[in-house]
Amino acid sequence: MSLPVHAQREGGSDRGPSSPFHPVDINHPTHIALVEPDTAFWGLVARDRLDETLAGGPLLETWRAKAADFAREMDMLRFHLKPSAVYFNATERCNLNCSYCYIPSDMRRGGTQMDRDRLLAALETLHGYFRGHMPADRLPQVIFHGAEPMLARDAIFAGIEAFKDRFRFGVQTNATLLDEEAIAFLTGHGVGIGLSLDGPTARIADRTRQRWNGDGVFDHVVRAIERLDGYPGFNVICTMTEENLPHLTQLVDFFHEKRVPACMLNVTRCTQPGARGLKGDDKAVSDAFLAALERTHTLYRETGRKLVVANFANILIAILAPTARRLMCDISPCGGGRSFFALAPDGALFPCSEFIGLDTFVGGNLFTDRIDDVLESAPFRKVIDRKVEDIEGCDVCPIRHFCGSPCPAEAHEMNGGMHRKGAFCAFYEEQVRYAMRLIADGRHQDFLWDGWDEGTEVACAIGA
Amino acid sequence: MSNSTTVKTEAQPETRRPDVIAIRKTCDAEGTGLSHYVLMDKQVKR
Ligand code: SF4
Ligand code: SF4
Repeated sequence: MSLPVHAQREGGSDRGPSSPFHPVDINHPTHIALVEPDTAFWGLVARDRLDETLAGGPLLETWRAKAADFAREMDMLRFHLKPSAVYFNATERCNLNCSYCYIPSDMRRGGTQMDRDRLLAALETLHGYFRGHMPADRLPQVIFHGAEPMLARDAIFAGIEAFKDRFRFGVQTNATLLDEEAIAFLTGHGVGIGLSLDGPTARIADRTRQRWNGDGVFDHVVRAIERLDGYPGFNVICTMTEENLPHLTQLVDFFHEKRVPACMLNVTRCTQPGARGLKGDDKAVSDAFLAALERTHTLYRETGRKLVVANFANILIAILAPTARRLMCDISPCGGGRSFFALAPDGALFPCSEFIGLDTFVGGNLFTDRIDDVLESAPFRKVIDRKVEDIEGCDVCPIRHFCGSPCPAEAHEMNGGMHRKGAFCAFYEEQVRYAMRLIADGRHQDFLWDGWDEGTEVACAIGA
Repeated sequence: MSNSTTVKTEAQPETRRPDVIAIRKTCDAEGTGLSHYVLMDKQVKR
């Protein structure tokens, strides 16, 4: 029996007439998945027990008893969150010219930058907004994001110092300007630090990430990683491209050896045309990605130390505990304009950093408009209203709430509209199949942070 | 639509796994989630 993810349509013939479950072949030797798409509830069932499981038993009983609760939690997650984070772009400028960057190059060369007073005023306004709806014991998050935030270092550090008790801060940096002093300041203030590195050697890493004159920056990033050894709040992002796919397992070895606590292996976002030629096809990306995940597992088994691949861990969490997910690209509507938004240096507000540079997606200005009005603006609504149910193909996809059909910016720019898929459908399918195989094999905890489920309650545990 | 061709290279468990496995945990959806660009986990201890 071989059932691709999309074999079943509503009322399809492979499931009982009244069964809510869609069979999904996860390419596991003994188990197959049954998924109820709308509630994101699923079971993994031995192939020889499929018919009787569909006819009745604990899986069906649990679903009947709890479907309404599960539907409510998905509704809450998808439609009733308020923003709790902002991607804060203090500068449009960058000292690098990476091949897949989503920010147009003329902006990165000579764009605007906030000074200290402007940045402090922006944080004050944001604080007022978040305090209006967030409970006092939860701090909103501000992530200084790029272009390259460390070009506005003095203003940003002044902001972190002044607002250290009112926000949780993070910074995503290319590491080239991260000297001893900067690291001491950021780690001393408990700031989350994200670095970027695309390969285990300079030859590979420098193919996609380089200065305007073509020089690579591998050595800078490695030095920063070494300086951050032992700091729990940092991670390294690798963008998977045709250039580094054959070296991904080697990169995982490199990160593990350097004691990087978590990394992300992200697909290339194809919002800007420059990225599209580099993205790699779905099969090449999934083969390399799954091999890299297997390598992290081998390393964990050999050393007892995990290198968590955070974007994959998020998919596992989306399957095991949908409301506990931490990244918001793989649920629809995605997090853009909904659980966070992005601020440009001139005050323009976008649903997500991914839209920066696309002028039609400016929803308003932080310095002149009310944020609540901006969230209701037409450009924001365009993103917030994008849901898998309205996308052809995704509307009948059983794993639609483990994928979310990212990314709206990519779909809009590359595929001609919000209600199109993005660039990587088949990759997302493979990722979910693999995650479910891990659960079928009882290996999934090895891919998650210890304590990932603190604060969650068990709603269903059959065979677990 | 793709029909999967994933190579099964993964280690398989030695003992037979339960015939039915289903796990669901739940918590308040706080929406602290971010996009793929930065991961901020729990507050780093100062
Ligand atoms: S899917 Fe795209 S727009 Fe949505 S949060 Fe992710 S990067 Fe941003
Ligand atoms: S993009 Fe995602 S939700 Fe849409 S059909 Fe593909 S796997 Fe399913």
